Amino acid sequence: MAWITKNSAGMKIERRDEPYLTPAMRDELINTHLPRYEVRKGALFPALHMIQHHYGWIPHQAMLEIAEVLGITPAEVFDTVTFYEEYWTKPKGENLLAVCRSIACEFCDATACTEAIKAKLGIDVGETTPDNKFTLVELECIGSCGTAPAALFNEDLHENLTPQRCVDLIEQIRSGAYQPGGTGAVKDE
Amino acid sequence: MPKKTWENTLTEHVLLKRIPTAPFGNIRDRHVVGYDEYVKTGGYEGLRKAVTMAPKDVTEEVKASVLRGRGGAGFPTGLKWTFLPAPDEGHRYLAINADESEPGTFKDRLLMDFDPHLMLEGIAICMYACRLDRAYIFIRGEYHHQAHVLEEALKEAYANGIFGEKGLINRGSNASGDAFVADCYVHRGAGAYICGEETALLEAIEGNRGWPRIKPPFPAVKGLFGRPTIINNVETLCHLPFIIERGAAAFAEQGVESSVGGPPSFGTKLMGVSGHVNKPGCYELELGIPLRTLVEEFCGGMRNGKKFKGAIPGGVSMGILGPDQYEAELDFDIGRKYNVLGLGTAGPTVFDEDTDMVAVARNIARFYKHESCGQCTPCREGSGWLYQLLCRIEEGDANTKDLDLALEIATSMGSMPGTTICGLADGNNWATRTIMNKYREEFEARVKRTYIPVSIGVS
Ligand SMILES: Cc1cc2nc3c(=O)[nH]c(=O)nc-3n(C[C@H](O)[C@H](O)[C@H](O)COP(=O)(O)O)c2cc1C
Ligand code: SF4
Ligand code: FES
Repeated sequence: MAWITKNSAGMKIERRDEPYLTPAMRDELINTHLPRYEVRKGALFPALHMIQHHYGWIPHQAMLEIAEVLGITPAEVFDTVTFYEEYWTKPKGENLLAVCRSIACEFCDATACTEAIKAKLGIDVGETTPDNKFTLVELECIGSCGTAPAALFNEDLHENLTPQRCVDLIEQIRSGAYQPGGTGAVKDE
Repeated sequence: MPKKTWENTLTEHVLLKRIPTAPFGNIRDRHVVGYDEYVKTGGYEGLRKAVTMAPKDVTEEVKASVLRGRGGAGFPTGLKWTFLPAPDEGHRYLAINADESEPGTFKDRLLMDFDPHLMLEGIAICMYACRLDRAYIFIRGEYHHQAHVLEEALKEAYANGIFGEKGLINRGSNASGDAFVADCYVHRGAGAYICGEETALLEAIEGNRGWPRIKPPFPAVKGLFGRPTIINNVETLCHLPFIIERGAAAFAEQGVESSVGGPPSFGTKLMGVSGHVNKPGCYELELGIPLRTLVEEFCGGMRNGKKFKGAIPGGVSMGILGPDQYEAELDFDIGRKYNVLGLGTAGPTVFDEDTDMVAVARNIARFYKHESCGQCTPCREGSGWLYQLLCRIEEGDANTKDLDLALEIATSMGSMPGTTICGLADGNNWATRTIMNKYREEFEARVKRTYIPVSIGVS
């Protein structure tokens, strides 16, 4: 996790003219989130979530912008970003498929589902398809152990998976027939 | 009258009153309960009653109920509240632990999915009793839908005068005399199990990496932003409306007294059963139910008629119940009686006879390796070595000696006081150690024998 460090001295930050933190985001951050916390750094999570949600990852320039708004050092932002799994420091595919690999899921055949997805997409866990449509990752328990195996497709939860349902899901997404929402929390038999 | 041994006396659900669940409802009727429906079905009555009482009487009532924390540690909630210093000018905080990432646990999610106002009512009662003016619901990042439901419910709660300037807790009519503004916010996490640990959770609210803090000082004295803070689990708070409305005695009628002379296990508990049973799911039952009864009577028995092999009582950190411990009662005494760490979140993950226990140990070791925050050497290094060793054992590349080595590493993590900061290392220790000890033959069958060269001098 976060304690795996690497030397980043001398790293060049890619910049673009247009700020990542749009005026609307800046507004929301200053007016909604900042007043909620006694210290300005408290609003760091909401700020990062905004960027992550909007761009799918957190570019270095965005970290600098956030640091400036919150009045903290860029290093502090970087420190937090790199600790948490949900913040991506590199771009990922358009869609994120995250299969649970923890105890209940693994022993209710999550491995077969992951294998089916890998075969269907032709990638390994941690990789992105060449067309940039899918990134596949594995997560630890996502709180759906009673309906294992479970996976997150972007923000939607899918439960009671089988290898076939995984393949169907990917086909639906590819063909545009996918309806957002997932299986929700109601168990479908 | 509190019960000595478990029997099913529940005639309606307490926590799942509005979330249809067997045996009192059909799972298909579940829907998000909004403010109006919540009030119509008796909601916010607990809070209304609470504000007619003096704050310290509310705390006394909770103390009398012996409500014990549902987040894993089972610490008496009322007692925790009394550790707070007297109010002064500054903010005082409530942090709600909705991080729920312990593998095998999915109970808080259910409450937030469908009945968010129950939790908000519990929050308001706690804030009133403890004189806390700001609450943060720390919800794990993966719970996108639930965070959304909570945000909506919070809007309703503000609009209807539960929180905020015109909040119920703030009205002149309340018995506390002083007026203060109670606010409640959702703070979303970003995917790290360790943020469920209470001080790591505080760090995450402050915008830092989730590194647990060294205690003392305890959060009740010096917590969030250096101010007094109470941390409670979602389910713990959801019990408060019932306790205040019906009284501590009514709460104590459910659950059981301790059979080993310890503090009692009163109340109902959400039990999220997963693994190899016919009807996995989250059930609300009285504490003290034997695991066998839970599986056979409520979960439709073992899947495919297989035999029971073992179960994790409530999250992987608790260790494992062996094949001969199917009768174990699920209450807070379980740790003393069955050689596991404790009840944890009371969500059993059940394994059938075909399960490879070496793989189970490996899966759990991988989890800890991945989730260790890296502050303490025994935990950071030990979890990595343990995972590698267990992988080797699983693949058949290890020797008998490696079994002892794995056990030695596991046992050295967290068991010596002062060598690790938080309980994650203990969890790893208990999980690995109990699995290796309770299924020793299985591990032995997987390793090559170690031959010790012996040279005999002939003269
Ligand atoms: C490594 C670790 C992870 C934890 N994860 C959670 C969690 O996800 N949810 C939770 O409610 N408590 C969790 N706890 C327990 C909390 O530290 C704390 O005891 C609990 O939130 C207190 O609330 P309660 O008294 O209402 O149970 C965790 C503890 C440790 C050591
Ligand atoms: S015991 Fe492990 S998880 Fe806990 S603080 Fe130490 S290194 Fe971090
Ligand atoms: S173990 Fe997969 S969702 Fe909990």
